[in-house]
Amino acid sequence: MPELNPILIKDLRSRMRGARAYILLTIYLTILAGVTLLLYVAIAGSVGNDLNAGREIGRALFFTIATVALIEVCLITPVLTSGSVAGEKERQTYDLLVASLLTPWQIVWGKLASSLAFALLLIIAVVPVMSLAFLFGGVGLTEVLIAIVGLVTTAILYATIGLFWSALMRSSLGATSFAIGTVIVILLGIPFLIVIVTLILGPSAPSSLLDSLWFIYVSRLFIALHPFIALGTTASQLSRGESPFFEIVQTSATNVVVPSPWLLYAIFSLIATAILLALSVRLIHPVRPESARGRRTRPQDRQDASEERVSKR
Amino acid sequence: MTAIVETRDLTRRFGSNLALDHLNLTIPEGAIFGFIGPNGAGKTTTMRILTTLLAPSAGEARVAGVSVVSDPRAVRRLVGFMPDFFGVYDNMKSWEYLDFFGRAYGIPAQRRQQLIGELLELVDLGHKRDDLVMSLSRGMKQRLSLARAMMHDPQLLILDEPASGLDPRARIELRELLKELRALGKTIMISSHILTELAEMCTHIGIIERGKLLAAGEVQQILRSMRPHRIVEIRIVSGAAHAEAMLRTHPDVLELRREGARETEEHEAEPLDDATGPHTLLADFAGDEHALGELLAALVTAGVRISHFAEQSGDLEDIFLHVTKGIV
Repeated sequence: MPELNPILIKDLRSRMRGARAYILLTIYLTILAGVTLLLYVAIAGSVGNDLNAGREIGRALFFTIATVALIEVCLITPVLTSGSVAGEKERQTYDLLVASLLTPWQIVWGKLASSLAFALLLIIAVVPVMSLAFLFGGVGLTEVLIAIVGLVTTAILYATIGLFWSALMRSSLGATSFAIGTVIVILLGIPFLIVIVTLILGPSAPSSLLDSLWFIYVSRLFIALHPFIALGTTASQLSRGESPFFEIVQTSATNVVVPSPWLLYAIFSLIATAILLALSVRLIHPVRPESARGRRTRPQDRQDASEERVSKR
Repeated sequence: MTAIVETRDLTRRFGSNLALDHLNLTIPEGAIFGFIGPNGAGKTTTMRILTTLLAPSAGEARVAGVSVVSDPRAVRRLVGFMPDFFGVYDNMKSWEYLDFFGRAYGIPAQRRQQLIGELLELVDLGHKRDDLVMSLSRGMKQRLSLARAMMHDPQLLILDEPASGLDPRARIELRELLKELRALGKTIMISSHILTELAEMCTHIGIIERGKLLAAGEVQQILRSMRPHRIVEIRIVSGAAHAEAMLRTHPDVLELRREGARETEEHEAEPLDDATGPHTLLADFAGDEHALGELLAALVTAGVRISHFAEQSGDLEDIFLHVTKGIV
């Protein structure tokens, strides 16, 4: 039987040992359960005794839990990975890893997998809370599956964002700051741009533009970069009884078929993840003879030079 | 003896700073090679190139005939590296630390378990197997680090300043450990800026300064070549004045000093008086072993009573100062 990735085993051993992992999991579930309880109290008081009350409570609970879980995944996973490679550099164990027979890909994959394993634990831990929603009804299997795909792809992409910064930066603090910064830019920057574009176009936007194919595709693609907007749009489409896989946009001339936002989001996430992983692997390569022959000073050289000075002190 | 490390015109620049300047270094198999030089001389740079952590700017470096540039993976298999710092993992036990690096070097599970036990015994940490690495003392961490470097049974061990920060006891233990490793057939390259650390354990030395290799070879050979004449220490119980006169006129004695006397005083000094106690003279002697025997016989025949007549052994410190003189 082939052995598991050494980094994965090492990191899981040290991550799960001690109280830290349990404390994080407890805080995460406490927030989630607290929000669920508050929401239940608020909705149960307002819906009255109507026949559909249960369904409404179920839907509200499900979407709130999914949203809170998504927020937590967006914030926790990049922090989990941003300390991974930079942490090895800080502990001065990075050289030992690179000088071993581990390939850069094994290092990157081991770091990602160990963080994702923990992120998946967080996602799975949500399931019992989420299942409360089923007691009330109103939520279908499609919604649940799409929510889980959304959470998992987000966890993978945002973990890779953290990993990329971790491979680039010297310190965990720097890597974490940049990772969180990137998450904030994505989560706040995209809605901001959508608002700006809507304001510029205004209600008087020419229908020739709004109906043009490229506008329809570009705007849908742009929306699909944002996990909350992509999944939220999908949820509202499902509640209108539309197909979970595609959306039909009606223009004055014809009907345009566009893949569902969650599907676009999942595809975009996978592509972005692949690119970031490839960049991280490149950053971890210790010795690249070709570039070393070039006379330009690479950032790595400057790092080495400063290390040299430090080690001589 | 075949060379395990060979560098040819090895050069490394950091921007405009020349860290290694056409370094030509050869380390024979089975040697304990002491790499001496002041801070910033290029020791760490050389070691990082040999462990494939750094690419040379120009020139070539080979470990057991394998180029570090064209086949770094093969070189990593041959080299065990212990940097001048000890990287600590949080929440990790001693055996897990070794287990992790065993996996990283692709050692099969069964062999790994056996090896961890053997290596922990070798570095005398068998009783610390289940202790967290963080809780070990500095000397223990250093030994654990050495066990880690040995996990994949490398031919060459590269140890960067292994004794820095260790207390005298831990130093002695490290030295004994290195001797054991040499007996196991390992070649050891060890760097230091503290000469006395290396003096007792090395078979070969290389002196580096500002990226240039100033001298390299067997310790004894270097000691000889750096000191073309010997210094003979003679302690005289009686007949000191006569002995001094004899020695001053002896053709092989290049220079004669009284121990403890400063050079300025020497010429004005009164003849040595036997009543003021035994005197010690230091003679720079250019002749061979035979001539030295003749000298002793002549002194004794002339009635000089000698309690001690011995060649002073030169040490690395003298050589280092001699070689690096004027450059620092």
